Amino acid sequence: MNEPAGNIPIDSKIKPALTSLLYQLADDDFILAYRGSEWLGLAPHIEEDVAFSSISQDTMGHAAMFYQLLSNLGEGNVDSLAHAREASERQNAVLLELVNGPGHYLSSAQYDWAFAVVRNYFYSQAKKIRLDSLKNSSYQPLAEVALKVNMELYYHLLHWKTWVIQLMQAGGEARTRMEAAIGKVLADFEGVLNLGPLAKEMAEHDLVEKEEVLKQRWLFIMKPVFESVNLSVSEADIAMKNGNGRIGEHTADLDDALSTLSEVYSINPAASW
Amino acid sequence: MSEALFYQEMTEEEKYEQFMKRINTGEKIEADDWMPEDYRMTLIKLISMHGISEIMGALPEKEWVPKAPSLKRKLGIMAKVQDEMGHGQLLLRVAEDLMKPLGKTREDIMQDLFSGKLKFHNVFHMEAPTWGDAGLIGWLVDGAAIITQTNMLNASYGPYARALKRICAEEVFHAQHGEAIIMALAEGTDEQRAMVQDAVNRWWEALLMFFGPGDASTTGTSKQDTTIKYKIRTKTNEDLRQDFFTKYIPRVLSLGLTLPDETMHFDQERELWIYKQPDWNRFKDIIKNNGPKSQERLGLRRTAYDTNKWVREALNTAN
Amino acid sequence: MGNEGFYQEFEVFSQRTDTSPLQYQFSLLAPNRELALVMAQENFMRREAVADIWVVKRSDIRKLTPEEKQSLQRLDNKEYRTTKGYGYLKKKWRHYEQEMLDEKEILSWGGVKKGE
Repeated sequence: MNEPAGNIPIDSKIKPALTSLLYQLADDDFILAYRGSEWLGLAPHIEEDVAFSSISQDTMGHAAMFYQLLSNLGEGNVDSLAHAREASERQNAVLLELVNGPGHYLSSAQYDWAFAVVRNYFYSQAKKIRLDSLKNSSYQPLAEVALKVNMELYYHLLHWKTWVIQLMQAGGEARTRMEAAIGKVLADFEGVLNLGPLAKEMAEHDLVEKEEVLKQRWLFIMKPVFESVNLSVSEADIAMKNGNGRIGEHTADLDDALSTLSEVYSINPAASW
Repeated sequence: MSEALFYQEMTEEEKYEQFMKRINTGEKIEADDWMPEDYRMTLIKLISMHGISEIMGALPEKEWVPKAPSLKRKLGIMAKVQDEMGHGQLLLRVAEDLMKPLGKTREDIMQDLFSGKLKFHNVFHMEAPTWGDAGLIGWLVDGAAIITQTNMLNASYGPYARALKRICAEEVFHAQHGEAIIMALAEGTDEQRAMVQDAVNRWWEALLMFFGPGDASTTGTSKQDTTIKYKIRTKTNEDLRQDFFTKYIPRVLSLGLTLPDETMHFDQERELWIYKQPDWNRFKDIIKNNGPKSQERLGLRRTAYDTNKWVREALNTAN
Repeated sequence: MGNEGFYQEFEVFSQRTDTSPLQYQFSLLAPNRELALVMAQENFMRREAVADIWVVKRSDIRKLTPEEKQSLQRLDNKEYRTTKGYGYLKKKWRHYEQEMLDEKEILSWGGVKKGE
């Protein structure tokens, strides 16, 4: 993974907020791409499987770029950052670590497509807003990465929005499933919009805009979409039911995911694979 | 088109004669063209099996997608398995167009898979218990697939030939992806080397079976004569197996790996690789969905298909 | 009807760059054209540049039947339609000490101005 910006000296006052922001960005994308990779081969139809996988690949590619920025700040190599950190060290939003549905990805997966499309759409929109803000980050290497990552988000958004709108408009069982999925996603969506305990410092150092500004922007953009499918969503629906991932609170789903995704890596972390 | 005769005025024999003349002069047959019934049926059987094998083939590798040991490997294997699904898409589209006059659709293909009527390739019934297997599938199973698929690049059926052209272009990436995994393991720790050797031992018989029986005397039936007559392919199963040996055995041995067959050698005089035949009865049993992983993978495919049924129904009439 | 309604056939065309011609890619199944459009790029153009994508419902395409393809045949006697039928002008112009304005010359006129 070669990314721009080598080891730029960074003000020690800024560093904790900067690294926390980067961990959030990297861990969010990494764990959601992992959940996407479990879907591979199991989507509602073959053409969609192929399209979805491209999005998971893009997203994992973005995680790799953010881990590279952390690595450049002396946080360790990208593969150990991705594979070797405990759940308590991870700063991803809890929503993104939740399982795709009941069952194991190899034998009994009964994955929930409604949850997949809603989680991905809502997240992609939040990510787009965050990255648009990061394009003006005072940390230049991050601003440069944000500019690149942003390019691929148009497709992600178009793709997920198309699915969400069509399934919402389909009525019947689909509508019921979609509303349940939206409820589930919103119940933990505060965890996605949250920027953690150093949010204030992040804004003060112009690393990213204020958490509240980004949240209002998300609500503003989503409002007409919700209206177009006759759904009423209020700010009060957005919660953090299963904990705040930004401070290392996670579910058992993340532990299971980590043991799977690091299974081979852990055989010998020093070996070349 | 050489004759100015209208098709409806021609007898079946004349149509057949013109069809054979077309394929013998290298013309391509298209989906809407007249074709003999057994040409259509042979293609449907061949291409739907090829397509569904790609779809089922994603499953043994799927295990290793979330588990791949680095970000680069995770991305590489995701892209590779995505391609398998993509190849399935291309091939099923070709098969579906051929089935259309019979009133069959993708839904029927999936149902035929679940009922056991539509078979998938023997290799995809096997276990892939380590990361070494993930590498070996990419290297040797894809290597074997490249050999059979390039043999049909000039197939008389145009849509199949065009799909194969796309597929083979991507297979070059697959081969290198597999080689990269194997190379890292072969040059790695003792444990990593053992992983590759175990995988070679485990997969060898399945790789021999991959090309199918040498002739009908081994398993009772063989479609190879029909496919050669209709210029869908040129080489026999045995020719292809020999090509595979020639291309891959030197590479396997060069990495310090061994083959689980002491009788294996090249007979200079006959210019043939001599090898121990796999158990063809076991082959027949495996492709009847009695392989070690057949039921689990079919179960996963069926569960996913049923679980997503509501999505297909919801958008059934949306326009 | 079953699920046939979900599996509609779409033909996919794409342009590699803004100036390249539209090229046929392949067909896919999707329930409607919006979803067909979001599937198209990743199914057929994962590894190449794309400037535009068109999806067309197959049932909206009128193709020639095998019989109708016979209507594509024509005699090779239409030199009057091509430059081939006017090749003698070259010699004529030479008589007037002028160059023939052939295809190569004429198509070069749209190029850059001298001195640029």
